[in-house]
Amino acid sequence: MIKIKAKDVDVFYGKKQALFNISLDIEENQVTALIGPSGCGKSTFLRCLNRMNDVIDICSVKGEILINDFNINDKSCDVVRLREKIGMVFQKPNPFPKTLYENVSYGPTIHGMAQSKQEMDEIVETSLKKAALWEEVKDRLHEPGTGLSGGQQQRLCIARAISVRPEVILMDEPCSALDPIATAQIEELIDELKKEHTIIIVTHSMAQAARVSQNTGFFHLGQLIEHGSTDKIFKNPDNKKTQDYITGRFG
Amino acid sequence: MNLILFTFIVLLGFTSYYFGRKKAYTIQSTKKRLTALPQFYGYYLAIWCAIPAFIIFSLWAIFEPTIVKLLILSDYSNQGYLDDELNLIYEKTKALSRGQFTGEITPFIEASAEKYLSLRSIAQSSKVVIVLSAIIASVAYAYKRISSNSRTREPVEKFLNAVLFTASLAAILTTVGIVFSLIFQTIDFFKVIPLFDFVFGTHWYPAKAFVRDSSEALDPTMYSDTFGAVPIFAGTFFIAFIAMCVAIPIGLMSGIYLAEYASTKVRQYAKPLIEILAGIPTVVYGFFAALTVGPFLKELGTSMGLEVSAESALAAGGVMGIMIIPFISSLSDDVITSVPQSLRDGSYAMGATKSETIKRVIFPAALPGIVGSILLGVSRAIGETMIVVMASGLAANLTLNPLESTSTITAQIVVILIGDQAFGDPKTQAAFALGMSLFLVTLCLNIVALRVVKKYREKYE
Repeated sequence: MIKIKAKDVDVFYGKKQALFNISLDIEENQVTALIGPSGCGKSTFLRCLNRMNDVIDICSVKGEILINDFNINDKSCDVVRLREKIGMVFQKPNPFPKTLYENVSYGPTIHGMAQSKQEMDEIVETSLKKAALWEEVKDRLHEPGTGLSGGQQQRLCIARAISVRPEVILMDEPCSALDPIATAQIEELIDELKKEHTIIIVTHSMAQAARVSQNTGFFHLGQLIEHGSTDKIFKNPDNKKTQDYITGRFG
Repeated sequence: MNLILFTFIVLLGFTSYYFGRKKAYTIQSTKKRLTALPQFYGYYLAIWCAIPAFIIFSLWAIFEPTIVKLLILSDYSNQGYLDDELNLIYEKTKALSRGQFTGEITPFIEASAEKYLSLRSIAQSSKVVIVLSAIIASVAYAYKRISSNSRTREPVEKFLNAVLFTASLAAILTTVGIVFSLIFQTIDFFKVIPLFDFVFGTHWYPAKAFVRDSSEALDPTMYSDTFGAVPIFAGTFFIAFIAMCVAIPIGLMSGIYLAEYASTKVRQYAKPLIEILAGIPTVVYGFFAALTVGPFLKELGTSMGLEVSAESALAAGGVMGIMIIPFISSLSDDVITSVPQSLRDGSYAMGATKSETIKRVIFPAALPGIVGSILLGVSRAIGETMIVVMASGLAANLTLNPLESTSTITAQIVVILIGDQAFGDPKTQAAFALGMSLFLVTLCLNIVALRVVKKYREKYE
């Protein structure tokens, strides 16, 4: 089933065009990987999906992005509701300088999802459990989140993102600042999370894309060169450029 | 004369730089490898020119007056003069030699004055000779020593290091000197006035000490109830409090606006405009408070049936607050801007609005820095003088009514030190005691502020 449908998306930074005519369908409850060399626009595309590009003054987005058949670039779209439904995990772990508990309860609090302390405790616990962090931190929920290791911080950010039960989770190179063991843990987690969430992950590592994703889109110089099932992209790509990139001839 | 000599030495310095470099080039042209760039050879020679000149100049400045004085006064030895009288004779001699002596001229003094002049001219010419020959000798020595493998880079670097070190040492020593001059006078003050009376006394009437005839013996009992500093400490903190009530909300909110809401264009113009406030001389704020705000408040109060003094704590504190706004707004703007963008992104991505992000993420993250900026603002408020002197009155009332006039530590120091002062008088020393307490208060505030700011830095870097 198609969860997100991008139609002819163009993105401009000031006068410079960063994305050209991107059309891409994203399947529900699957992991879609976006790969491509640095500066190819894959992160920019990812940030279109929860309108994070709004934060950048000079950035403008054209085209249609339909999520559940609703165009999020439409004026009537409420960004607060949109981002509640579409969570995001960033390249560098960015826990707030607050306690672990406050980090996870941040989203539910601002969206008024818990009526009582008890409910909030439950949300925090399930989110941390889903993020495979609960066992490690259950005794120090009230210590600062910035005191965790890099991998733990990133899992905390994932717990924070899933605390509001988003339908989609966007991940922008979530493992690029982590060591191989932490990376393996996050990848395992992604596999687990796709049961309940649709996941789109931007990654520089082709091995990672091959390991975690079912679908892959290859970006180059602001254009979507090719997309399809990961198997096909990696084993038998249609486009020569994709072939070259996959085999490490450039990028 | 000294100026000409100095110019000449500077010229010599440039010349030796040129010669040093030239010699290096010459060595280079013989295909030998130099151990440093040719400039270093030039600097090296220039330093050899500057150091002896500096040493001789300073020795001269230290010893010349003493030696001349000894030589002049040797004529008067064995005549049974007291030290004080000898000093007086010497001062008269100097005055006469400058043609500024107005008293009766005795032949003795006239003779000494002539001797003084001749000694001075001898000293002057010998200085020229010694300095120049020392420079030439040392430069020549250094010039001879320059060869392809002589070390010039290290001494030049060391010299620079020493110069920079001296500069910072001068700043530190000045501070230490000021503190010491405060300490000794303060101790003298507390020998007469008990510390307890100063710290806990509630009456501050230094005017009482003004009427003392300095020929009378010092009677500590007459100073009871004169130097009780409670009213002026209270006044200081009260006015600072009023100032911060104005400065913190306005400064903080404009800081948040500039950092988070203002577009680049608005920020580009608004920030310098706000900072102009910091450039207005405090005396201008002072008469703004005294001549505009004070009378306005008085009229406003009268029309509402309130009794308002024309020199009210409210006027002084309010205007002082306006003065402090740019410090707080500019510093908190910087602190808020330096909160990593990733935290903002994290919060926005959770669906938080701008105000929620500011309230829940950015403000707490920036809080230590903001507290630091507020504390720096407070220490400015406590140390501010001109506005209070002009707008808040000089009578030290112990009051918490912002509509009455009060006085502050700084204003009282001004009051005490205006006009004739006698050293060794408790009245004058009181100013030092006040200065010392002020210094201690602002020192503590600054230390706390710097600690807080540092802690903040550690968290994000």
